Amino acid sequence: MARRAAIVGVGLTKCSSHRRDVIYPELVHEAVSAALADANLEAKDIDAVVYGSMDPFDGVFAPERWNVDACVGAGASNKPFMKITTGGTTGGSVALGGYYHVTSGLFDVVLVVASQRVGETLEAQLVLNTAIDPIYERWMGGGAIMVGANQASSHFHYYGTTEEDLAMVAAKNYANALNNPYAHLQRHLTVEDALKMRMISWPLRLSDCCPSSDGACAIILACEKRARKITNTPAWIRGAGQITDNYYIGDRPWFQDWEALSILGRHVYKQAKIGNPLEELDVAELYNAFTIQEIIECEALGFCEPGKGTELLRKGVTSMDGKLPVNPSGGTLCTNPIGATGLVRIAEAALQVMGKADKRQVANAKTALAHVWGAAIGFHVLMILDKEAL
Amino acid sequence: MPKRVAIVGIGQTKHEESKGHYIYYESDFEAAKLALEDASLTRGDLDTVIASGWDAIDGRTISDMHTCMAIGGYLKDSSHVGEDGIMALAYAYLRIASGLFDIALVAGHGHREANVDAVTRIVFDPLFARPAGRNYIITMAMQANAYMHKYGVSKEQAAKVVVKNRANGVRNPYAHLDSPVTVEEVLASRPVAYPLKALDCPPESVGGVALILAAEDVARRITDKPVWIRGIGWAIESYEMGSKDLAEIPSLTAAAQRAYQMAGIKRPLDEFDLAEVHEATSFHELMDYEALGFAEAGQGAKLIDEGTTEMGGKLPVNPSGGSLCTNLFGASGLVRAAEAALQLRGDAHGRQVAGAKLALAHGLSAPAGAAAPTNCVAILERG
Amino acid sequence: MTQEEEILIMPGAWNLPFRHTAGRFASRFFRELRDNKKIFGVRCPECRRVLLPPRPLCERCLASIDEWVEVGHQGTLEAFTICYVPFLGLPPPPTATIMVKLDGADSCLSHVLSGVDLSDVDKARELVKIGMRVEVVWRDQRKGEISDIEYFRPVA
Repeated sequence: MARRAAIVGVGLTKCSSHRRDVIYPELVHEAVSAALADANLEAKDIDAVVYGSMDPFDGVFAPERWNVDACVGAGASNKPFMKITTGGTTGGSVALGGYYHVTSGLFDVVLVVASQRVGETLEAQLVLNTAIDPIYERWMGGGAIMVGANQASSHFHYYGTTEEDLAMVAAKNYANALNNPYAHLQRHLTVEDALKMRMISWPLRLSDCCPSSDGACAIILACEKRARKITNTPAWIRGAGQITDNYYIGDRPWFQDWEALSILGRHVYKQAKIGNPLEELDVAELYNAFTIQEIIECEALGFCEPGKGTELLRKGVTSMDGKLPVNPSGGTLCTNPIGATGLVRIAEAALQVMGKADKRQVANAKTALAHVWGAAIGFHVLMILDKEAL
Repeated sequence: MPKRVAIVGIGQTKHEESKGHYIYYESDFEAAKLALEDASLTRGDLDTVIASGWDAIDGRTISDMHTCMAIGGYLKDSSHVGEDGIMALAYAYLRIASGLFDIALVAGHGHREANVDAVTRIVFDPLFARPAGRNYIITMAMQANAYMHKYGVSKEQAAKVVVKNRANGVRNPYAHLDSPVTVEEVLASRPVAYPLKALDCPPESVGGVALILAAEDVARRITDKPVWIRGIGWAIESYEMGSKDLAEIPSLTAAAQRAYQMAGIKRPLDEFDLAEVHEATSFHELMDYEALGFAEAGQGAKLIDEGTTEMGGKLPVNPSGGSLCTNLFGASGLVRAAEAALQLRGDAHGRQVAGAKLALAHGLSAPAGAAAPTNCVAILERG
Repeated sequence: MTQEEEILIMPGAWNLPFRHTAGRFASRFFRELRDNKKIFGVRCPECRRVLLPPRPLCERCLASIDEWVEVGHQGTLEAFTICYVPFLGLPPPPTATIMVKLDGADSCLSHVLSGVDLSDVDKARELVKIGMRVEVVWRDQRKGEISDIEYFRPVA
């Protein structure tokens, strides 16, 4: 039986287009200090650090080097330090890295940090283009938005989803973000407002697409013995995992479904002993970089049958007062510090289970699911957190 | 109790000047297949794969989208360390020690598609260090200079490291550089950054390396020659080079101490049969001796003068030829681990240290050179 | 803002040159486009899928590939979107980016669709549909790169 591990502290930064007020190490320090304060710990209590960022955006490659001492003085005290980077899933992969640091038995208290300074880049799409195979595909430009648009275009074709459904997802997330002091986009957006916004890549409008944000996030993980001493409200990791689909999306052109996520979902539910996610989960933080993805994620994660995600939405099941609120934080749609976004999903899920989500708290949230996707919509990470240890 | 972890499969390509017919991740693919063949396993047996290296070196953001496919990661739980491959070994170790995974494959590659100096330059912050002209080799040169100056180490002594490693490389069928050099040739080679000459620096090699790790109970079913990871430790240093004594490598000292404690090593010079170290430059190998506790501070050069670390000496260092013969930028550390493991299995043909039972493998993950380097030490033991 | 409070912004740019080895698979694929106006996929010896673009290994079987299969110049449009904002690297909008499964292939090629008026999104949706048949339009001067196929157009 693997060692139990829990999240015992969470630190977030306010995200914006460009945090001009801080240089990179200061931004990281903000998140790390917030996590330490939340857990009532000091730098010396941290046994190891796991760091993630998606490198080309920040204008500094391998920024963990510059930021090393903003992470509890890890350089000065020669702590174990590991850089994990997996594209958009970096925030999730780095949380998994921290989880395995603790469950290995070698480390008791581990700091996990993820950061991104997209604001330092003039044209984020140029960077995203560098993710596309330079031999076959980079000449076409495009990137994340086109893949999201393909998902919407295909979901419309095969399942009859409409632009209004997308606008409803946008309105719901924007309203939730108003309760989240760390969110990047905080504005009122109605369904009507959304449907009038500029078309970016059909059928995605501006309101259907996430921003690019500057931000950092830190969480502290601990083994059972230490977790119970550090906090009364640990968020136990009940299940966690990752899946890797292949690079060439041309090999899997059925964008209306997200099989790799379904496969991972079944695997992690089994680990977490969850039989009926719609009944047993209290809240979900899903990586909705594009509105359509929230719908597909609900389907792939088994909250409903394939193609029925819009029903969940229209019946209010995923609203704040519904049976399974999705993205009380406003999701990735409203806040996207790319390499850190995955960790923000996990941090938000942890805050829900710890009862620390303030105005965005889902009442009596006991079991939360966090999802992260990345790469050519081919990487996924899932983590299930619970008030009680399994 | 962490589960015991063993290396059960080793794969390494011939390392070369170029592999023109390959796309870069084919080196990972070739090494992964060799490792699977070596272990008599198939892709289906793998629970997880960990890729390594740097996107900006590969010229592809999220390079692991390609490398994970090439090493068996399709529909598996995979990850990627933005580090030298030695850290993929460390991460896979953690995954297996947790009891949540039984079999892992880790891999790394080297190629010559990037300008390493240009890439490492942009690891430095744009405010202070980059405008002051910093990159990997410049900071390594500054460190070598500081070490030379503090302890009176001569360029000839450093050159002897090159002579030793290049002589060892002649007998390594996988090595990229496989011809010997003399002290005179090292000293006469083209200056790079004082005090480094071209031959004091590793080459740029093209190739791949992969290791398969397994949990204790599974390892014994795969091979009757498991190589146990008896101890492992890693540590990082500060970014600010102006705030530390460049003549030492505290991250390597800390990493070694953690690994030695885990493995119960008290007298490294006596207990190890060999060491494969990831020498950033000729001078760094001498510094590594000190950080690893083979010699007191400032006394590393004595070991090379006395022949202690030669093939016939008390503690052969880099019987493979080290990174001075084969340097996969982003995977040299993993090559060191592979070579150490081959030695313990008695499979290091041509370069075998007779009767090797206990080995040290060291890897350096340092995209910013001497600024915030990560050093990792693994203690390997014959099963 | 006084001089004491002024926050400076420093410009920066990465200029990272690369020499990407295309390898023998992409090289042969591009040579066939350029010299013979032929499109090739490769077949995995184990799962027998014909994969486009050509690559040295099948990730499912972890098998080396060495069989080349010529595929048709017509195919089915499996997925698409129409871009309305300028993206660096793309032709000026509106541009339709598509996934096309050429006859004989088991996977889709990423490319662009042209020869259709995309400026009115509602009209465009009548003209570009998932499942429609499309065909290759070759560039006259070909260089040995993917854009030797200039674009795809609907089959009349």
